[in-house]
Amino acid sequence: MPSVFKRVGKDRYRLRLSPEEVGVLRGLPDQLRSVLQDAEPDPVADRLFPPAYRDPEDAERQAEYRRLMQEDLVAEKVANLDLVVGTLERGEQRQRRWTVEVTEEEAVAWLGVLNDLRLALGVRLEITEDFDGIVMPDDPDAAAKHLLSYLGWLEEHLVAALSS
Amino acid sequence: MGGMSTTAPTRERIEQGDEVAEPDVPWVVIVWNDPINLMSYVVFVLQKLFGYSRDKATKLMLDVHQKGKAVVSSGPREKAEFDVFRLHGHGLWATMQKDR
Repeated sequence: MPSVFKRVGKDRYRLRLSPEEVGVLRGLPDQLRSVLQDAEPDPVADRLFPPAYRDPEDAERQAEYRRLMQEDLVAEKVANLDLVVGTLERGEQRQRRWTVEVTEEEAVAWLGVLNDLRLALGVRLEITEDFDGIVMPDDPDAAAKHLLSYLGWLEEHLVAALSS
Repeated sequence: MGGMSTTAPTRERIEQGDEVAEPDVPWVVIVWNDPINLMSYVVFVLQKLFGYSRDKATKLMLDVHQKGKAVVSSGPREKAEFDVFRLHGHGLWATMQKDR
């Protein structure tokens, strides 16, 4: 099977997907963006921006950490999203596969976005045990769990390519 | 949590504005297990952020996975906070606390 993500040069990676996969992926960045930019308390935001300090005696330091760092963390994630959206717009159909070449920076942004999406899905699905990817057909969350599996598979390929 | 070297605490007290700092106790940065982050991803992030060898990053990841947590770095508070910030930027569930 051809690799999904493949290193093709010093600062180049090639991403090849089916048109169906690209269709799914195109819809995801906006969902993550709305979570990141929504100021309302949200369990997904709690997971994406966990506290740095756990001890109650460090409550003031935690408030300071949030005040100073939250904006940078959001900005970093939004920048990743923008890079990923750019590559999704740039890719084109070649021999039945959708293909795009990305830089190392863009590949790392993909990694961040895939991971954030999976963290967000994991919270929404209330997954608390290690997820083995097995989904029962009568599971009302089957579609979302299949998506979580798929994104994990994609992420594994990307980590392997970045480590190659 | 074994394996991490820490600097010896000193008795020095440092004035910070009107706040008297506590003795210079080192802080530890802890990564906690979570059900979503991939094992390969955690190894990749630990190597990237801390420059650890693949073996060391893998050992830490396995501690996180099997024991529920691992100390991944330590040092003065500012350094620990910066490390936590970078781990949060990569989606790892990291916290910091005084090493005592």
